[in-house]
Amino acid sequence: MFSCWNRRPKPAVMSKAKTQQPAVIHKVIMVGSGGVGKSALTLQFMYDEFVEDYEPTKADSYRKKVVLDGEEVQIDILDTAGQEDYAAIRDNYFRSGEGFLCVFSITEQESFQATAEFREQILRVKNDDNIPFLLVGNKCDLEDKRQVTIDEAQTRAQQWAVPYVETSAKTRANVDKVFYDLMREIRSRKMEAIRQSNGKKIRKKESKKRKCTIL
Amino acid sequence: MADHGGLARVLSKQDFNPENFVGKLAEGPGGESDLLVMKTKVQVLSDETAHSLKKNVYKNYFQFIETAKEISILEGEMYQLSHTLTEQKSLMSSMMEMSLVSDKAIVEEPKEQEQDNPEEETRKNLAFLLEKVEGCSSVTEVPGRHLVHNSDLAELDAESFMQIQRVHSFLLNDSLMIATWLPNRRGPVRYRFQGLYELDSLAVVNVRDAGPVKNAFKILMFPDSKMYQADSAKAKRQWLDILEETKKRKASRDKQKREAALFLAEQQLVTLTTPTEDSNPFGEEDESEALAAIETDFLNSDWIQELPEDLDMCIAQRDFEGAVDLVERVNEYLKDCPKVPAVKEFRARIDHRVKQLTEGLMGELQVSPERSLRGGPRAARRAVMQLIRLGKSAQACDLFLKNRSSIIKYNIRQLKFEGATTLYIRRLCDVFIPCLSETGKEFMKAFQDHYGCMSAFVVWAKKELQMFVSTVNRQVFGGKSSMSVIAECLHNARQQCEELSQIGLDVSFLFESLIATDLERVIRENKDQIIEGVKYRAQDDKWRPMNHLSHTDCLKFVEEMSAGGLDLKNYIYDACFINLTMNTANFSKSCLSFAHDVLLVHTPEIDHLVTEAIADIFRAEVTHIEDSIRNKNFNREHKFILKNAQFVLEVIMSKIEAAYKEQGVVFPKQLLDINGEYRRLKSVVKSLGAS
Ligand SMILES: Nc1nc2c(ncn2[C@@H]2O[C@H](COP(=O)(O)OP(=O)(O)O)[C@@H](O)[C@H]2O)c(=O)[nH]1
Ligand SMILES: [Mg+2]
Repeated sequence: MFSCWNRRPKPAVMSKAKTQQPAVIHKVIMVGSGGVGKSALTLQFMYDEFVEDYEPTKADSYRKKVVLDGEEVQIDILDTAGQEDYAAIRDNYFRSGEGFLCVFSITEQESFQATAEFREQILRVKNDDNIPFLLVGNKCDLEDKRQVTIDEAQTRAQQWAVPYVETSAKTRANVDKVFYDLMREIRSRKMEAIRQSNGKKIRKKESKKRKCTIL
Repeated sequence: MADHGGLARVLSKQDFNPENFVGKLAEGPGGESDLLVMKTKVQVLSDETAHSLKKNVYKNYFQFIETAKEISILEGEMYQLSHTLTEQKSLMSSMMEMSLVSDKAIVEEPKEQEQDNPEEETRKNLAFLLEKVEGCSSVTEVPGRHLVHNSDLAELDAESFMQIQRVHSFLLNDSLMIATWLPNRRGPVRYRFQGLYELDSLAVVNVRDAGPVKNAFKILMFPDSKMYQADSAKAKRQWLDILEETKKRKASRDKQKREAALFLAEQQLVTLTTPTEDSNPFGEEDESEALAAIETDFLNSDWIQELPEDLDMCIAQRDFEGAVDLVERVNEYLKDCPKVPAVKEFRARIDHRVKQLTEGLMGELQVSPERSLRGGPRAARRAVMQLIRLGKSAQACDLFLKNRSSIIKYNIRQLKFEGATTLYIRRLCDVFIPCLSETGKEFMKAFQDHYGCMSAFVVWAKKELQMFVSTVNRQVFGGKSSMSVIAECLHNARQQCEELSQIGLDVSFLFESLIATDLERVIRENKDQIIEGVKYRAQDDKWRPMNHLSHTDCLKFVEEMSAGGLDLKNYIYDACFINLTMNTANFSKSCLSFAHDVLLVHTPEIDHLVTEAIADIFRAEVTHIEDSIRNKNFNREHKFILKNAQFVLEVIMSKIEAAYKEQGVVFPKQLLDINGEYRRLKSVVKSLGAS
């Protein structure tokens, strides 16, 4: 309800852009404690490289053209540092996303615990229990240092009704998968929204009711 | 009367011919008697006309003076107006010259600046914003807000990355203001206010360069999400860093403020609850919640919300009365408000404006060298009145009096020293004394119930008088003015001083004490001079009657002497002789004039000095006479000498006695005694004749 990017009327100048750039943009946000590999995952996905020590910034955004199930789309990744003092500012970041990769490091139990807080914040800000969301256990190449069991993580994912995927930014394992899976989720949500708005006239009452429950 | 009216009509007819008129009258049956009647009628008419003419002239003159006064005040105001206009013009042009994207606007050491004089800086910076950006007045009015960074940016569409428009972005210490560029605009206003975003919730995103889009960053500010493009990587880096830094600084400032406010609120709660601690049913938290509720309640009404802006308006329009009305109203309102942080903050906003208002009012009273001072005292009174209402009576009093001092100084400077000292002193008095008295009246009007200020006025008046007297002294005693000039000047000044008692200000005593030394010195000097003259002339005194050679010259001399108050007609003999010596005549003249002068400035304080001086002069003359009598060379002139002695000691002395009487001063015994010297001289002559 809050993410209304695609429905916003576009300025006239933009019409030219349509022919050059894919109109569909999926907005992904990387969340998770510091040091879990959000930036590493993003950079691996974007540039196919593993950066050992990426200097953390507050928030970086990336844009890339990808082919999603035969359709050319753009992915917009917001890589946050998650150390913003103001909740209001964090909220503004989260509001701008359509889907979330909630990353923890399997080598760090605390980072796993922190995912619950991120989840909570996202749900609060987006006001949507079905927001596209993946729980990502990164650094799976470091099996010997594992602190978070797969069971543990999967249990939590089931509770939240979200997929759980283990990745390695270093080996590129499952890197593309998490981004593409999330994009698919986002895309299906968008389709659903379009269907809903099309059937709005027919199911006006129902939609109204639904709105109320959300609010 | 009606008759006169008829006559007046006849006489004032345009084709009136006097000859025909008189001719007709003479031919008439009345003849001579008619003519005589007509003559008296014409006479009466002429008198009446003269009288009414005089009255009209007086009336017109009076009106003329009134008008001239008003014109001069108006002129002064015009001067001031033109001065203000030039001032504003130069201010505006200097603002136009200021570059919008000036590097100086980037605060390199904001901390230092904040300490220095944040308000001044703020006003400067944000006033400059007002000149450049349309519709941002609400932004500039927050006290303590200042500009940190600004530059041109391109706004991009966050989805397509296409440029939407050019904007100028202003980073303030607590918020970010975006203004859109107005194309095809002339003049200083180049941008229109678009939005103001508080830094508290501003999310900044660095956009990694993608394809053709470089140097971009995003501002996420729900529901807005904006993307901007800087000119260069460096410019973008600068924006991100300064944004980050400014946000941090604001966060820590807010934290401090919150802590301080919390501490204060706690303290207040303690003081509030202490007396009834036991019976206080509320926990601390309830209490602060209640306070928070109160604080919003108190400031929610419309007029309170609009007050700062209304005040600004009043100040800008120089509606000082209106502004003070508002201040009084809000003071009254806030008096009962609890001192919670929000109220305090509001109070600070008001105080900030009160300060501006006070400065404006003080400016009214301030004297700048270029500013004309002839603006009437009413303008000053207006400012004073408002300052008093603002509780600044001491400053008002100080400035008011300083203002008056300058007016006096200015008016005195306008006086040109033209020739006669007496005239100058008279003019000086005419300027100074009314100024003083007018100030007194104005002061009492303006500071009616502020008795504390009265002493300031008295001190001021004393200082001014001292300055005035020192000018008088310089002019009167400094030059080679004669005793008569001095006497006349002082007499004049003294009389004017006495007029001040009308406003309850008695400066006579002060005046006397300020002139006493110089006056005494001058009297002594003049006395000595006359005595010197007596001694000098004594050497050449041949004891011969004056011979003016011709009757005309003789009469001319008598005429001259009578101007000095001496009647010598009875002393003329043989057409051209006067039965007194030239020496006697000269002595009499200078002695009388001296006596007249010193009596003019006589006060009980110098009574003794005056009497002694006159007595000394007479004694010197008596000595000369007695020496002459005892001089064998003049044995045959005794009778003539005695005649001169009688003239000096009886005629002149009686004139001096009359002068005393005229001044209302008791004729002193010492001079009466000198009067008796004539008898002694006679007996000396007798004894010499006997031997
Ligand atoms: N071995 C290994 N190291 C990783 C992986 N992902 C990130 N790192 C390292 O973990 C550290 C923190 O990663 P970074 O991407 O900066 O974490 P962020 O704070 O979440 O952005 C860096 O030194 C990375 O090289 C991974 O999958 N495997
Ligand atoms: Mg990172």
